Amino acid sequence: MLETLPDWLSGLFSEDVRSSLAYITNGKHLAWYASIRFTLIAAIGGATVAVLFGLVGAALKQSRIMPFKLIGDFYTTIVRGVPDVLFILFFPLAFEQAVEYFLARSVCEPEVLAAATQWPPCEAAQWFLTTTDYLIMACVSLGIVYGAFAANVIHGAMQAVPKGQLEAAAAYGFTPRQVFWRFKVRQMWVYALPGLSNVWMLLLKATSLLSLLQIADIVQWAARLGSANYYSRVGLVHPDWRWKYYLVLFVFFIVMTMLSERFFAALQARASRGMSLAGSD
Amino acid sequence: MKKILLSMVLASAVIATPAMSETVRIGTEGAYAPYNYVDDNGKLAGYEIDLGNALCAEAGLTCEFVANEWDSIIPNLVAGNYDAIMAGMSITDERKQTINFSEEYYPSEPSKYAAAAGMSFDMMSLSGKKIGVQGATIQAAYAEEHFGANNTIMSFKTFDDSVADLAAGNLDLLLADGDPLNPVIEASAGALAFVGEGVRIGGGVGIGMRKDDTDLAVKMNAAIAALKANGTVDKLIKEYFDNGPFYAQ
Repeated sequence: MLETLPDWLSGLFSEDVRSSLAYITNGKHLAWYASIRFTLIAAIGGATVAVLFGLVGAALKQSRIMPFKLIGDFYTTIVRGVPDVLFILFFPLAFEQAVEYFLARSVCEPEVLAAATQWPPCEAAQWFLTTTDYLIMACVSLGIVYGAFAANVIHGAMQAVPKGQLEAAAAYGFTPRQVFWRFKVRQMWVYALPGLSNVWMLLLKATSLLSLLQIADIVQWAARLGSANYYSRVGLVHPDWRWKYYLVLFVFFIVMTMLSERFFAALQARASRGMSLAGSD
Repeated sequence: MKKILLSMVLASAVIATPAMSETVRIGTEGAYAPYNYVDDNGKLAGYEIDLGNALCAEAGLTCEFVANEWDSIIPNLVAGNYDAIMAGMSITDERKQTINFSEEYYPSEPSKYAAAAGMSFDMMSLSGKKIGVQGATIQAAYAEEHFGANNTIMSFKTFDDSVADLAAGNLDLLLADGDPLNPVIEASAGALAFVGEGVRIGGGVGIGMRKDDTDLAVKMNAAIAALKANGTVDKLIKEYFDNGPFYAQ
């Protein structure tokens, strides 16, 4: 990496600086920086799924049809209570086994199936999860957990849309469905965004759990790189530096938080255009 | 609902088609220098990576190393995530109940105790001590059996973690393989030292394979015998472990 710099530039650095630069730009460290993609994909993918689940959950919660309302309430109550760590461990495993169960039913020989003592019953029913599969599972798990929070936020925001707006829309002849989508959902964002930005922060922090799914994410790389090394063949010999690497992660997450705050402030400003909000008129 | 399930199963069937190609996937830990580690370029390297590639060339197989955490390395072999384990794993009777081993490719070496310099212990009657081991190792089983009753056995996820706690003074003793410990004691500049006599716990190091994978076992055993005979194994041992133990007399 450092060799690609022109001589006049690398000549400006002292020997110490140059060796530190070489150290933090070696292949291992580049792999660490590149692993940020897993965190970002999981956060953005998870957030997308969470908003979808949130919208569906909120719609269910205010449905007039009893079973739907019960499902919505059940979802937000139960899933909000389950720790995200547990859900990230539980969901991919349960999903994998469920798929393998149905796969085994269709591909394994019946006599093998009957005599099976181990899981899965036959080789062909084996589903080997790659990093990509795990990443998708992580997005869905995070989406389900934080979707329950988002559902509550969106449900509350929908209630906050002034009744008069909806009544006026109905009076103009809009159908109930049009009133829901064009007035309620359209206007609720401005009330939902502050809450959703909180959910986003929680979700972003929860992406640090990715290493639980064998994904070599920033947290796992930080632990690997920071572990003491005594063997010069492996690379620079250094004592336990994990705290330094974790400190870098602290800074990373704080920077992400600050960027998110700005993003949501801009979004809020955009969503509030032309709306008269309580206290602002 | 049936349709969703069906399409789900079909989709996964496409993903799950077992590898029909000749590529043999070898699982390793990547955190156990000099056996296996991640080098500065972020690639797996070490004695077992070089030896594994030499064995595969000898046997005419295409091989690929994959990293897997130590504590799930046997379950994931059995589950079929990879076809072989080369991760400094000693051949033991307990492990043989679950998996099959090749002939050894690194001789049995005594495990050693490390402690803060200047400490001495009576290994026959240890009590009230904190003894560190890496989880799911032969040392963990040994420590639990011999010292578990009167001492606290602390089990760590990786070898590095156990050394970090010894260096930080959270452990009285660390029981581990001698080879990864040697550079640690050297680099500690007198702060850590070997104590007591080493104990010979397990057999030599061998390739772990699924029990029904007899074809691979036959090929690997032939390749190990050939590379031991032509001196390649000893050459690699010399390269990574300096002074042996060697197979040649």
